[in-house]
Amino acid sequence: MKHATMILLLAAAAAAQDLTPRATPQDGPIAIVHATVHPVSGPSIEDGYVLFDGGVIKEVGRGTPPAGARAIDGRGKHVYPGWIAAFTNLGLTEIGAVRATRDDREVGDLTAEVRAAVAVNPDSTLIPVARSNGVLSFAAFPRGGLVPGRASVLSVEGWTWEEMAVETDAGLVVEWPAPRPPPFRGEEKDPEKAMEEVRRNRDRLEQAFLEARAYAAARAADPGTPEDVRYEAMRAALDGKRPVFLVAHDYDQIAGALAFAARWKVRPVIVGGQDSWLLAEEIKAAGAAVIVDGVHRFPKRSDSDFDEAFKLPARLEAAGVSWCLASGEGASNERNLPYAAGRAVAYGLPRDAAIRAITLHAARVLGVEARLGSIEPGKDATLIVTDGDPLEIPTGVVSAYVRGRAIDLSSKQTKLYEKYRSKYVR
Amino acid sequence: MPRPFLPALLFLVVLAPAQEAPPNGPRRVDPMWHAIVGATIHVAPGKTIEGGNVVLKGDRIAAAGTEAPPFGARVWDGRGLHVYAGLIDAYVPVEVEATEQRHWNPRITPWRVARAIDDETATELRALGFTAAAVAPSKGILRGRASLVSLAPREEDLSVPRPAVYAEGVWQSAGFDVAERAPGPPRGRPREGYPTSQMGAIALLRQSLLDGLAADERLLFDTTDELEALRACKIAREAGRGAVVVGCGTELRRLDAIAKDGLSFVLPLAFPEPPDVSSVGAADAADLRDLMTWEQAPTNPRRLDAKGVTVALTTSKIGKRDRFFRRLAEAMRHGLSEERALAMLTTTPSRLLGADDRMGTIEPGKLANLVVAEGPLFAREPVVREVWIEGRRHEVTSPLSPAAGAWTLSGGGLPSPLALEVKRKRRGAYEATLSSGDRKAEAQRVSVVADRIGFSFDGEPFGRRGRFTLSAVAVADALDGQGVDPDGARFRWGAARGPAPGAPPVPAPGPADAPESYGTPFGPYALDALPEGPERLIVRGATLWTCGPEGVVENGELEVRAGKIVYAGPARGGAEGATVVDASGRHVTPGIIDCHSHTGISKGVNEAGQAVTAEVRIGDVTDPDSINWYRQLAGGVTTVNSLHGSANPIGGQNQVNKVRWGVAHPDGMHFEGAPPGIKFALGENVKQSNWGDDHVTRYPQTRMGVETLMRDRFLAAREYAKGHERRDLELEALAEILAGTRLLHCHSYRQDEILMLCRLAEEFGFTIGTFQHVLEGYKVADAIRDRSLGGSAFSDWWAYKVEVQDAIPWNGALMHEVGVCVSFNSDSDEMARRMNLEAAKAVKYGGLPPEEALKFVTLNPAKQLKIDHRVGSLEGGKDADFAIWSGSPLSVYSRCVATWIDGREYFSLEKDKAHRERIAAERLRIVQKILGRPKEREEEGRGEGKPPARSETWHCGECGCRGE
Repeated sequence: MKHATMILLLAAAAAAQDLTPRATPQDGPIAIVHATVHPVSGPSIEDGYVLFDGGVIKEVGRGTPPAGARAIDGRGKHVYPGWIAAFTNLGLTEIGAVRATRDDREVGDLTAEVRAAVAVNPDSTLIPVARSNGVLSFAAFPRGGLVPGRASVLSVEGWTWEEMAVETDAGLVVEWPAPRPPPFRGEEKDPEKAMEEVRRNRDRLEQAFLEARAYAAARAADPGTPEDVRYEAMRAALDGKRPVFLVAHDYDQIAGALAFAARWKVRPVIVGGQDSWLLAEEIKAAGAAVIVDGVHRFPKRSDSDFDEAFKLPARLEAAGVSWCLASGEGASNERNLPYAAGRAVAYGLPRDAAIRAITLHAARVLGVEARLGSIEPGKDATLIVTDGDPLEIPTGVVSAYVRGRAIDLSSKQTKLYEKYRSKYVR
Repeated sequence: MPRPFLPALLFLVVLAPAQEAPPNGPRRVDPMWHAIVGATIHVAPGKTIEGGNVVLKGDRIAAAGTEAPPFGARVWDGRGLHVYAGLIDAYVPVEVEATEQRHWNPRITPWRVARAIDDETATELRALGFTAAAVAPSKGILRGRASLVSLAPREEDLSVPRPAVYAEGVWQSAGFDVAERAPGPPRGRPREGYPTSQMGAIALLRQSLLDGLAADERLLFDTTDELEALRACKIAREAGRGAVVVGCGTELRRLDAIAKDGLSFVLPLAFPEPPDVSSVGAADAADLRDLMTWEQAPTNPRRLDAKGVTVALTTSKIGKRDRFFRRLAEAMRHGLSEERALAMLTTTPSRLLGADDRMGTIEPGKLANLVVAEGPLFAREPVVREVWIEGRRHEVTSPLSPAAGAWTLSGGGLPSPLALEVKRKRRGAYEATLSSGDRKAEAQRVSVVADRIGFSFDGEPFGRRGRFTLSAVAVADALDGQGVDPDGARFRWGAARGPAPGAPPVPAPGPADAPESYGTPFGPYALDALPEGPERLIVRGATLWTCGPEGVVENGELEVRAGKIVYAGPARGGAEGATVVDASGRHVTPGIIDCHSHTGISKGVNEAGQAVTAEVRIGDVTDPDSINWYRQLAGGVTTVNSLHGSANPIGGQNQVNKVRWGVAHPDGMHFEGAPPGIKFALGENVKQSNWGDDHVTRYPQTRMGVETLMRDRFLAAREYAKGHERRDLELEALAEILAGTRLLHCHSYRQDEILMLCRLAEEFGFTIGTFQHVLEGYKVADAIRDRSLGGSAFSDWWAYKVEVQDAIPWNGALMHEVGVCVSFNSDSDEMARRMNLEAAKAVKYGGLPPEEALKFVTLNPAKQLKIDHRVGSLEGGKDADFAIWSGSPLSVYSRCVATWIDGREYFSLEKDKAHRERIAAERLRIVQKILGRPKEREEEGRGEGKPPARSETWHCGECGCRGE
């Protein structure tokens, strides 16, 4: 008892440090049985089981699993793949107002060479809070400038960022210049000046891609050409091996970003995508995907439909666009990701599409589909068990596994709750 | 019957300088006796004499009529000319140096006097036909005294009178200027950075008027949006002063409220540029409210006039003054009559300025101030020939040369046939064009001096290589002169006058192509009238979440009479004469109450200029136009607590509002009878911790200082309450807290500061209203329970700054468990749209029963604001404020179907659909209109930019509450 109190006190004293214990690697086959299994890649299975071993899913089926596995009773429970936060600064920031805790914006407008993974703090207190509600993987994005760097996909469990990493170079991030920046405190930029800045920035982007390609050609022809970390970092995207994440919201931004991607023959993913429903045909024709950055946003204009942002997912789904959903909440509240999906269901999105948008399709857009996003043999055993419909707020996540490891769902927040509850309830 | 001239004793008339300088050479004698004969005399609006004469003697008008002019007067040929009373510009802002600072705030300078106008402005105004103007000190809050001055030029010859000041101190000029940025001087030093917000400017103005500054003077308010006009009216009324408002051009957006206020207006013809619709993306981003403002702005003077508002016009506030008549032509095309336009420039301003006994009409005895135009003055491009000011003539445009006109040329070496057209350009220069059939040549080097003309032209278009040079004299209806052809041969030529062009037409009041009605608030989702409230309403079949003693009732019935709930419980049947809403399968809850909102607050949610600003009031700056009100209605919100930001330990007074979208006057949103309150704040924001290294000198910089400052102000307020000579708006509000009549709502995070305020409240013997945010409330829930009406928190926000690291989503449930009355709030215009889902988090974190969780956004905030006798639950006797949902209000899959306030349906999905159709049609129509507008109208609005008063959205960072 004394020991436990001691741990609690330590937890409270450590301001921005996660002290929840790490999970141990899976040490034998586990089967969650008699649960409703939602593989996402196929129809849901009543009285189903999921068998996993060595961190990898082995079998999914109905009824009784093959013998030999440690059975966990899932009666009345639901099993889903872990949620994937497709666009976040989780791990890169701790306290928004404290500069020392922010690692998501490098200095300079063109910093393709930086990658998110190496700055992800495994002991961030924000990570256990996200995973407590089922967010088991996340794509950390560097931001700001024109080419802020490369995004990384990580899981929420591991001793180091290396152990957490699923894909350190998930793609190149480009912030597409905004032609009509939203007014700040009611003051708008001079439109002429704003357009001039947009033109200049577009030119700089163009120039950066030109130079990177010229550099690649020179290196290929003459291996003695000195290495340039910037252009090396852009290579995978330029070669089409990795996508380019183009952060674009407005119609002109998205149209411009798509044209840019076509010219450079890169694989575009539109991030944000407020107006993407207006360009659904173009997006499909370009083979592009969209990461919708949350649905809890303001409509575009004062006269826009009040539910414009809520129904964006339904519109994209109906149009046959490849898309997935991010929470739009920021690092501290990634836990609310399923509620963004639920909200989209209230405004016309089929529920199974909502689940896909935060699991399988997110994995697909991020290029980690081989390991994450669905409950299928061969994929990582990264999944959650819930006591009801996880898109409904009161539902709880009762247990979670990352690569087969049963993870601790407590956090600094649960410990503070327990500590102060004992002040009133003895 | 002209009024006899009375020397106006009220005025300080300065018609001659006190001392004349000795003349250089013999003195000049000017008989100052003139007659303009044969002109069209516009004696007064609606009264015109064709072929009339005006006689001026000395500085006065001697006669106006058809009688022959007296022998002895100098006669001016007025044939073809139109004569009007000199125009009066009722508002010309001028810079006046403040020679000394007599008030602690540099924006309070009522002793400044404007008495002079600069030569450039006077020249511009004379060129437009103005002869007098009211000059007012610009910049500031209580700015100084305005004067009515003559626009006569300063003569070099000092024996000629200098420009006269017709009347000094006609009104005290006021405005809502704010400091550019808030410096951080500690209290007690000159607070030059105050105010930073409109509500601060209003508070300073009210306090200054209460202090007796500018006593007995009429006020002139310079406004930058239409809501400021309504604010001006309230201030003037409170101070018992007459007031005139210098408008902004968009008053039509709040027409009914403005007309009802009964103020007089001096209006600029400020018509905004059309929004950019030149590309698919740009048109897509154009806001309907801006599109509508562009379309309707030219109707502004006509609409106000038609509503009975007294309107004068000004040439100010339109960028360049020389646009004035083009703008006026636009206004006339949109229905303003010539008669009314003339009145707005002559009789109305003279009356407003108290000078109608001496100017405004052409009547014997009045000052000889006239404007003479070639043709009607009210044309798109009128030509002002001259103005007369106090009997002296000031030429604007030299008389048209007889060489101007259309001519048919003949003579020696000229191509034949050849026509010539000579036209005067705007600045008195001339241009000439030669043509033969469809071949044309522009003349070069055109010189016109009196009746002589000279020019050259290229013979090429007419088949002669090389240039012709021609010159001639105009005599009667012929030109006679010589020319040199391209070969150098001289020849004699002549020309006969062709038909004279007609005078440009007066712009006719057009069929208004802008829609006559547009509803309230101006823009999308406007209502033509407030929704009707049925006398008897029954909502049946729904699951009622009463949040009252009845609990949750399946298949319930809600009955409303005259806006009040009379029954909420199990179904009863019987509905004679009632409007019945079938809500089978649906859920009905009390309207959502958001206990912490910054929606619809104009021009600053923080008065950040001082650490203590108890005098400012959010209710002074309610913005009923914010689209976020509508969006929140669509989320079931019916009441909000509109709070000042958290930049100061002691902020401003809050305003509880009902979301009555579409009310005529902003104050119509105010929750009548809600107890007044005030915002306090603790912690990082008031210490300016996250404001950067420039903000390290304002007291307090620590939580220790916050306590000290608050205690000090409470002590001062206690002393004030015992008795005072001067009414002090700040101390008055603080004394009300101590008296228990004003609720203190305190922004707070950490347990130490929360406990501190509890102890301070104990010391001064009052109960705290609410702790806002109160994210560590769970650590001291017992103290909060004992000392306040409750805690109002975010459900799950945390980690955005240091003081919220220990925030936990169980905070609400834990405080509730200990007995604190808990609410969840949004502090965000976006989150406010889904407070039902925030409530669901109290079920998730802490396991509250669903109805208890729903009370976090209904009954509990009502209790915290002490309005639970009116709202917060579905119980007999309460206001019929409720929301209908498609399913459980706590389900993420549910939508708000309808929202009722005071028994009126302000929102429903059906009505919303109708709005959308109307919006789509209006967007299409106006975008088409902009794209198809005639070229000459493309210049409109250039230089004035966007229309004023876009509705603002305060993000958490700006209000400083969340603090990032």
